[in-house]
Amino acid sequence: MIEVQDLTKRYFDREVVKSVSFFVPEGEVLGFLGPNGAGKTTTMRMICAYLPPTAGSVKVAGVDLAQDPLGVRARIGYLPENVALYPEMRVEEFLRFRAAIEGVPAKEVPERLAYVVDRCMLGDVQRQVIGTLSKGYRQRVGLAAALIHKPPVLILDEPTVGLDPRQIVKIRELIVELGRDHTVILSTHILPEVEQVCRRVLIIDDGRIVADGTPESLRTGFSGLSAVTVELEGADGASAAQVLGGIAGVEKVEVLADGRFQLAVRDGKAVRREVFRAAVARGWHILELSQSVPSLEDVFLRLTTREEVTGEAAAEVSYA
Amino acid sequence: MRKLLALVRRELLAYFSSPLAYVVLTAFLFVNGFVFWLIVAYLNDPRTRAMAPLRLLFGGTMYFWLLLLFVVPVITMRLLAEERRTGTIELLLTAPVTEGQVVMGKFLAAWIFYLFLWLPTLVYVGILASYATIDFGPVAAGYLGIALLGLLFASVGVFTSALAKNQIVAAIFAFAALVVVFSVGLIENLVTNPLWKNALSYMNLWDHMDDFAKGLVDTRRLIYPVSLSGFFLYLSVKALEAVKGR
Repeated sequence: MIEVQDLTKRYFDREVVKSVSFFVPEGEVLGFLGPNGAGKTTTMRMICAYLPPTAGSVKVAGVDLAQDPLGVRARIGYLPENVALYPEMRVEEFLRFRAAIEGVPAKEVPERLAYVVDRCMLGDVQRQVIGTLSKGYRQRVGLAAALIHKPPVLILDEPTVGLDPRQIVKIRELIVELGRDHTVILSTHILPEVEQVCRRVLIIDDGRIVADGTPESLRTGFSGLSAVTVELEGADGASAAQVLGGIAGVEKVEVLADGRFQLAVRDGKAVRREVFRAAVARGWHILELSQSVPSLEDVFLRLTTREEVTGEAAAEVSYA
Repeated sequence: MRKLLALVRRELLAYFSSPLAYVVLTAFLFVNGFVFWLIVAYLNDPRTRAMAPLRLLFGGTMYFWLLLLFVVPVITMRLLAEERRTGTIELLLTAPVTEGQVVMGKFLAAWIFYLFLWLPTLVYVGILASYATIDFGPVAAGYLGIALLGLLFASVGVFTSALAKNQIVAAIFAFAALVVVFSVGLIENLVTNPLWKNALSYMNLWDHMDDFAKGLVDTRRLIYPVSLSGFFLYLSVKALEAVKGR
């Protein structure tokens, strides 16, 4: 549905997006992650035919960006990061205006209007002036405007920023629902949101894609290691650490407190079994034995922090 | 076409839902009313030479020009600058409309609002017609001249509004640019070289209005404002393409 090939954006001598390529099949909800300033918004603006790319190609629903930018715009519903609306217009007036400039045939406007108002739960503010609406309502008006022309693709740039927790839940539910009949790119830096909403995640940092996969595969695949926490009673710290370190599959032992250890392990199940045996053999009591998989946060931080270091190194080289 | 119409409609709606429109309208009518009174009083003095009062009202006094040089930038300053400041331009230009349509929509709305400002001055024509016989030819030509002048001035205003993100800056730029556009033709009176004199007379907006107010509709006087406003609109589209992402 969305094909991005070697997409690059350069401002003067600074490359903001560096040869990004990815493909989003029809019906997928793709999470687009990255720290602030990583190039997320620029990438999305290029896909939406707002900013012209320096190099590379984009195809949306079979339409090539370079050949038919207006065709691409017509196939995308876009919700920008700071949903800016005309404050003096009424909700319905604004949606009618959007319908007209999106090229919705005049006959279909009432039907589309009713649909988006219902979908985005705007019934009770339809006649209200946009300037008087709360942030949550405004976000929904923006979403309704993005949906008015029945676009096959939805691109949402940080749709839940600045909303209260209840509004966030509502908007997320709405995005999940919309994901059933739209191809969606959802940009965010709120990681739990991605795990709830997206089937696939793309992490971008410093203008490059650094990870691509399902949230689960990212969590386990990237580190390869999981963490096991052990708390023992009746064991001498130093010798216990030695015993634990001797178990096959334990890569590292860290002493957290007296009798508490954190192990970095390859196969958590086998290691936990061995820890139990070792404890029984030595007469230690196990007070705690638990395994944790790294969170998406850990993966995200590791990926983007490593990139930052290389970024600094590159900067040093260029200064020298 | 439907998209352009929607853009113009939205822009006109924005004009009439902001207090600025009514302030401009009031100030415009106040100054014009005063000028009209001044002209009538002046012409009523037996020592003055008989003249058509509307010829004086349509560009025959400095008030006319001062007012236009101020009013048009105020009308146009918001157009693109505000869209860029608030970020609504992003929403506008991710809809299937071209930069050209956006610029054209803004420009037409500003021009229509400008014409609307002049609408109440028809009352002066009515007043004069009830006291004297009026030759409606020059009156119609005068309004045509005003409309053409509006095309030119509004296009300059749209252009500066595309360049600046701040409305006030856009207005000041527009004022400065319009002063140049207005006064370049007046240099005609200062040069003696016939070639220069000819070229500058082509750009002389004072004579432009004077001709129309006399009822003289010369194609040169049509082509100059139309082509120059076309040029400024082209520049506006280019400027918008260049600055929209910033």
